[in-house]
Amino acid sequence: MKKFIGNNLKYIVLILFAIFAVAPILVMWMAALKSSSEIFKDPFALPTVIHWENLAKAWTFGRFNKYLLNTFIVTLPTVSFVVSLSCMAGYAFGKLKFAGSKLFFYIFLLGLMVPFQAFMIPLYYTVRNLGLFGTYWAMILPETALGLSFGIFLMRAFFRGLPNELMDAARVDGCNEFNVFLKIMLPLTGPAVSTLVVFQFMWTWNSFLIPLLLLHEESLRPIALGLMFYSGHHRTDYGLVAAGVTLASLPVMIIFIIFQRHFIRGLTAGVIKG
Amino acid sequence: MVRKILHSSSDLASVRKWIQRNKIGYLFILPALLLYAIFFIYPFANAIYLSLTDWNGVDLQKTFVGLNNYIRMVKDKLMWLALSRNAIWVIIGTVVPIAIALILSVLLGGRKTKGRSFFRTVYFMPVVLSLVVVGIIWGWVYNPVFGMLNRVLEVIGLGSLSRGWLGDPKLAIYMVLIAAIWSYLGFCVVILLAGLQNVKVELYDAAKCDGANSWQQLIHVTIPQLYHVLTMIGVYSMINGFHVFDIVFVMTRGGPANSTEVIATYTYKQGFQLNSLGYGSALGMVLAVLSLIVSYIFLKFRERSEV
Repeated sequence: MKKFIGNNLKYIVLILFAIFAVAPILVMWMAALKSSSEIFKDPFALPTVIHWENLAKAWTFGRFNKYLLNTFIVTLPTVSFVVSLSCMAGYAFGKLKFAGSKLFFYIFLLGLMVPFQAFMIPLYYTVRNLGLFGTYWAMILPETALGLSFGIFLMRAFFRGLPNELMDAARVDGCNEFNVFLKIMLPLTGPAVSTLVVFQFMWTWNSFLIPLLLLHEESLRPIALGLMFYSGHHRTDYGLVAAGVTLASLPVMIIFIIFQRHFIRGLTAGVIKG
Repeated sequence: MVRKILHSSSDLASVRKWIQRNKIGYLFILPALLLYAIFFIYPFANAIYLSLTDWNGVDLQKTFVGLNNYIRMVKDKLMWLALSRNAIWVIIGTVVPIAIALILSVLLGGRKTKGRSFFRTVYFMPVVLSLVVVGIIWGWVYNPVFGMLNRVLEVIGLGSLSRGWLGDPKLAIYMVLIAAIWSYLGFCVVILLAGLQNVKVELYDAAKCDGANSWQQLIHVTIPQLYHVLTMIGVYSMINGFHVFDIVFVMTRGGPANSTEVIATYTYKQGFQLNSLGYGSALGMVLAVLSLIVSYIFLKFRERSEV
């Protein structure tokens, strides 16, 4: 026995931490299919009878259908804005020469260092004075602005790595500056853009404090915020809370499993270049 | 008038040339800059100003009070308590996940390790969850009635330790921190694993020849080679330790008895619940300054090590 442990200590440690990572999630997902009394009896037990009604109730009465739709309505434009604006600005910082480019780039980097809480109070009034309260834009525009720092940082690094000869050749062929960007450089950005899409998607999907401050109407709430209020209302109906957590976590988990290559490559690329 | 002056000094041509040379670059950054200016630069500048005023958010008049908010802050016991919670978060929340991730990634990075990408995927799973989800899940783990932690303690014969983990003011901050580390660990593993790909294999062979055991290899070969990556995630974790908000807000709202109050939740409370917007902004400035100092030290370090 001792020898077995000695030889396999590595795998024992790895497996223990794997259990540590997934057990809390699995227990929650299982609880979504249980009745409250079953949850009380033994959190680790498999459900004896599968209670789909928890999920159905969360979906309709809990309004998770609405929250999920809201999340898409907010996430899709945010991700597209961040990606397109970061590509343009990243290209300018990486490949074009203009006065003050370094200064502007540092100004954009500031957004990575200054915490959101440091300016959330005035931001609230800025958004209010622009008349954005009560619309999805109250979240989309600030969320985009705050995503730009990372996006520009990433795209600048990527564009810098592309050879200048490509652009020069296109210019010699009479391409104007916009077409050099659109037709020559942009098609090469696939790997960096997919990383940015995946991360910005995850951040916007999970965003909590921004909608807490800026989206007040219940009917506009995205999923993370909806889940927080919902779990407050159903504090004692544990099956329903677990169902809510499941509906909020399952989509992003599925997307991670499908696109994990991009998640991991995005982080990895940053390190190897770093 | 302006045109005349420019004409007369024949500067117009050079101005035109300057515009021509820089126009494209500015056009490309303009849309991003516009949004960024409205939703980041302007509010941030405003926050600096607000921190020098007394404002309840309703009155049209903001009273300029100079440094009074900052003086009040120095005397505010709750501020110091919150800052000490951030200090715990910065230190433990940086050292513990990186140390564990270092061990896991060294184990995973071994040449003969099976299932590397499986483990990597599993470790990363908590990272993609919203902190609201993480907070609710761990609220359950710590639940005094049916919580998993108490059950596990009972099974291994430590049932006497079981309690309502989040209700204990001495323990609550560490309990929330464990939940945060759980959701962050996989990120560190993926980063360090990537860093390990750059470590030169020959160095291990050389170390083995010299009779170094695994521990000595870790200390003398792996860690120095990972220096860059380790400082990078170290700084990232420290900045996160100042910024922490979501998970505390979801799990404890700063309670019990303010024992988990961090600067960010305290800022929120002052700004949006007690309507003390000037003071709230001043608290936010503390966070901004601390984060900028850490980032600056990091950049300096990096410059020096690159020379």
